[in-house]
Amino acid sequence: MTLPKRVCTAAIGLAMGTTAAFAADYTISVWSGGSGPNDHYRIDAISMAAELLEHEAAIRGEELNITVEGKPYDGWEEFKQGVTLSAESGTAPNIVVTSHTDIAPWAQAGLIVAAEDYVDLDSWPLNDLYENLIDIASFNGIVYGIPQDAESRPFFFWKDHMRGIGYSDADIDALPGKVEAGEYTLQNVLEDARKVQDAGLVEAGYGFYPRVSNGPDYWQFYLSFGGTIEEDGKLVFDRSAMGDFYQFFVDAVEAGVTRKNHIGTPWDQWYGEVASGKAGLWHGGTWHYARYTGREGLDDFFGNIQFTLIPAGGEGGRANTITHPLMYLITDQGDEDLEALAAELVTIASEPRINTLHAIKSAHLGIARSQSSVPLYADDRWASEATERLLPHATAQPNNVNFGQYVGIMWSGLEAAWTGQKTVADAIADAETELKATLGDNIVIR
Amino acid sequence: MLRASPDGEAMSGSRILGLLLLAPAFVFVVLFFLAPVVLTAVFALTNMSTATGITGGAYQVTQSAMRELGERHGEQALADALARVRYTVDPAGIDAATAEGASTALVSELDRKLAGESFDSRRELERAIKALDNRPRGTRALKSLSALFERSIVNTRFATEEEFFGAVAGLGIELNATQRAALLATTYTGWTWTSENFSRMFSLPDTKRTFLNTIIYVFATLIVFNTGFALVLSIVTHYMPDRPAGIFRAIWLLPRISPPVLYVLLWKWLAWDTGFLSRILVPLGFESRNWMLDNPTNAWVFIVLINGFVGASMGMLIFSAAIKSIPVSLFYASEVDGANRWQQVRYVILPQLRWPILFITCYQSLSLLTSFEYILLATEGGPGGATKVWALAAYLTALNNYAGNLEYGYGAALALVLVVVGVILSLAYLRLFDFKSLVAPPPIEQ
Repeated sequence: MTLPKRVCTAAIGLAMGTTAAFAADYTISVWSGGSGPNDHYRIDAISMAAELLEHEAAIRGEELNITVEGKPYDGWEEFKQGVTLSAESGTAPNIVVTSHTDIAPWAQAGLIVAAEDYVDLDSWPLNDLYENLIDIASFNGIVYGIPQDAESRPFFFWKDHMRGIGYSDADIDALPGKVEAGEYTLQNVLEDARKVQDAGLVEAGYGFYPRVSNGPDYWQFYLSFGGTIEEDGKLVFDRSAMGDFYQFFVDAVEAGVTRKNHIGTPWDQWYGEVASGKAGLWHGGTWHYARYTGREGLDDFFGNIQFTLIPAGGEGGRANTITHPLMYLITDQGDEDLEALAAELVTIASEPRINTLHAIKSAHLGIARSQSSVPLYADDRWASEATERLLPHATAQPNNVNFGQYVGIMWSGLEAAWTGQKTVADAIADAETELKATLGDNIVIR
Repeated sequence: MLRASPDGEAMSGSRILGLLLLAPAFVFVVLFFLAPVVLTAVFALTNMSTATGITGGAYQVTQSAMRELGERHGEQALADALARVRYTVDPAGIDAATAEGASTALVSELDRKLAGESFDSRRELERAIKALDNRPRGTRALKSLSALFERSIVNTRFATEEEFFGAVAGLGIELNATQRAALLATTYTGWTWTSENFSRMFSLPDTKRTFLNTIIYVFATLIVFNTGFALVLSIVTHYMPDRPAGIFRAIWLLPRISPPVLYVLLWKWLAWDTGFLSRILVPLGFESRNWMLDNPTNAWVFIVLINGFVGASMGMLIFSAAIKSIPVSLFYASEVDGANRWQQVRYVILPQLRWPILFITCYQSLSLLTSFEYILLATEGGPGGATKVWALAAYLTALNNYAGNLEYGYGAALALVLVVVGVILSLAYLRLFDFKSLVAPPPIEQ
C-alpha cells in the first residue's frame, strides 16, 4: 500500500468542510467468515463501493485508488482464529464480515472500533436499516457493526408427506398461521413425524430431521419452551425451559422419528435428503432456499415445501425464529483515516441495490426497508414472503462476552442427552454445575 | 574408558565445534519446546481470552462495567455518574473547532445557536449541528466536529491507570481508595492472574470423563496397534520372502502417507448410514445407521482403528529394522537346537527388541497423548462427548468458540496438565525399562 503518511489529516479536519479530499492509494482488506459460493457479494459489495467512491472522488477532482483484497472463508473456526490472532499481531484486515455475536468479545478486546464513531446513522442509506438489526449490531449501548445481511431460521414441512397423513391443501396453507398462534406445537411435530413414518412415506429416523451440528437454531427450541437467553445484560439459564428443550429431542429419538446418531450427519447428505422429500419435517435457514433450488435441483420449492416459524413447545412457550445477521465490522488499525475509509465503504455497500444483490443471490433477507422496492428483491417470492412471515417475529442471540461459553455448555448437554450419554436431568445438572464454575455471577440460574 | 587427548588446544577446538553443532538443536528445543511450555504455564495462570486480549487491556467505562460496579461493589451513584454520556457545546469546544480550521461562519453559528447546550448522545448533538446553516459537509467533517464537544468518558479506552484516573478527575469526580480499586477491577478489559482455571477444571463433571477417555484412547491404540500389531506385522514379514514382505509393509504404510483429511473421509464413507457398511449390511437385515457415531463403543472402535492403522506402520518399520539387525547365526543356532517359530520369537526376537519397544512405547504414548486431529475429523469428540480426549478439549477451549471468545487461559491450563502427565509418563517409562542399563557402555569399554 502506498499511503502517504497521515494524508488525510486535512481531510478529516474541518477545514475541508466536505467528504474526504485526498489523493492516495489505499488497500482495503476484507475477510468474510462462513461464506460459501453464493455469498461472494459480501466482499464484492465492498469492491463496488470502492469503485463508486473512486468515481465520486474523481468528480471532485481528486485521485483516489482503492484496491480491495477479499478473503472468503468457508467455515468459522479458521476465520475466527485468523481474525483474532492477526489482530493481536497488528495485521488485522480492515473490514471483517462476521456474526454479530463476535462483537462483544472483539469490542472488549479493542480489536474493532465503534462504527457509530465513523458513520452517520441518521443519513441515507443507514437511516433506512431495520432498527432491530441496528440493535443487534450494538453492544453496551454502542453501535459497533453495520448489518450485512439478515436471515431467519424457519421450520419446514414436505407438502406431499403432509398430504399423505391427511392434511388438505387448505390445512397446509393454514399451518403458518396455526404455528404463529401457538395452535400447532412441537408435540404436533412429533405426532406428525410419527405418522409420516408410519405411513411409510419416509424411512425411520427421517420423520423429524433437525440440523446436524451446533448452531443458533437450537436456541429457538429453548425459546419455544419459554426460555430467556439474556435479561438486563445478564445471561439466563432457565432449568425448566432447557430441560423441556432437551427432553423434546430425547422424545424425538425415543419415538424413533429422529436418529440417535443424527448429530454429525454430513451436511451434503442432509441437504440432498431434505431437498428431495426424504424427510418429513425439519428446520433450517432462509438461505437454504438457494441450496435446495440450486445445487440440490429442487425445481418447485413452493409446490413442495411449506415453511413456518419454529412452533411453540406448549403453554408458556412461543412460536419464534432467530435471525443471525452478519455484520461488517471495522477493525482498529490505529489509523483514523483507514478506519473512516472502511466505514465509508461499508456505508455504500449497505445501499439497497447493492445489498439486494447479496440478499437474492444467497437467499438471505434484506437489511433495509426500501429493499422491498428494489425490483430484484420485490420480484423474488422467497425474499418477500420470508421477510413478511418470519422477520417480524425474529429475535437474536445476545451480544454478551460470555455467550460463547454458554453456547458450548448448552450444546454439550443437548448432545449428551440426545445421544443417550446422560439423562436429561443429569445433563441439566451438569450444565448448571459447569455454568456456575465457568461464568459465576455472570449468569442467572433459575 | 577412552582417554582424553593430551592436546588441549585441539580438544578445546573440538568442544567449540561440538557446541556449534549442537546450537541449532538447542535453539529448536528452546523455541519449540521450552518457550511453548513456559508460555503455556504462564497463560494457564491467567483468565486470558479473546475478550481480554493477549497483549494487554485498557480501562474502559462501559454499560456492563458500570452495572458490575453497582451490583458487586455497591457503587451505584458513582456508576451512574460515570455512565452519563454528555456532549456540551462549551467555549473550550468552540475554541478547539476554531483551531481545527472550522469556518468562521460555522464557529459563529455554533456560538450563537448552541453554546451552553448539552446533549445526552453524540447523535443528538450531530442532529443539532446538521440543522445549522453553515453545517460541515460530509460525515468525516461532522464526526470531527462533534468529537470536540464530548464531555464524558464512556467507551473511551485508556491505556494506563494514570490516564484513566486523570480523565475521571477531569469530570469533577473525586474517588476514595475503595472506589479506585473497584473502578480498576470493573473497567479493566485485559487479563488478570488467577488460579481459577484449575479449580474450575477439577470441579467440572466432564473433566473426569475426558481424562478416562484419554486413558482409553492412548492405551488401547498403543497396546493393540502401535506396539502390539506393529510387532505382529514386523515378525510376520520377517518370516516372509523379501518381495512379498516389502509389498506387505508398503501397504501398511499407506495410512501414514495419506493426507489425514482424505484418510478420515474414507473411514466416514465406510461408516455413514448411506456408506459402504450400510450398503452391505442392510440387505442382511441390519438397519441403516451411522456406524461410527451409533454408540460410544462403535465410536471408540473406529477411533482406535483410524489411529492404530496410522500408528502401526511406524512400529512395524522400527521393529523390522531391529529384527534385521539380529545376527542370522542366532536364528540358525536356535533352529539347530530345535526351536519352533514361537520359541524363536519368544527367546531370540523379543529380547533383542527391548530397546525398540521402549522407544515406540514412549514415543507413541506421548504422541497419542497430544494428538487429536483424527478424532476431530472423525467424530469431533462425539457421540455426546464420548470420544472427547484431553488434547481435543484443550484445542476446542482455546481455539474454537461459537461466539468468538477463545479461552486461551483455560485452554492453556488443560494443555499444561498434558505437559505434566507427559513428563511423568516419560520418567515412569525410563524407570520401567531401566534406561540406564540400556545406554550403559558395553563391558569391553569398562
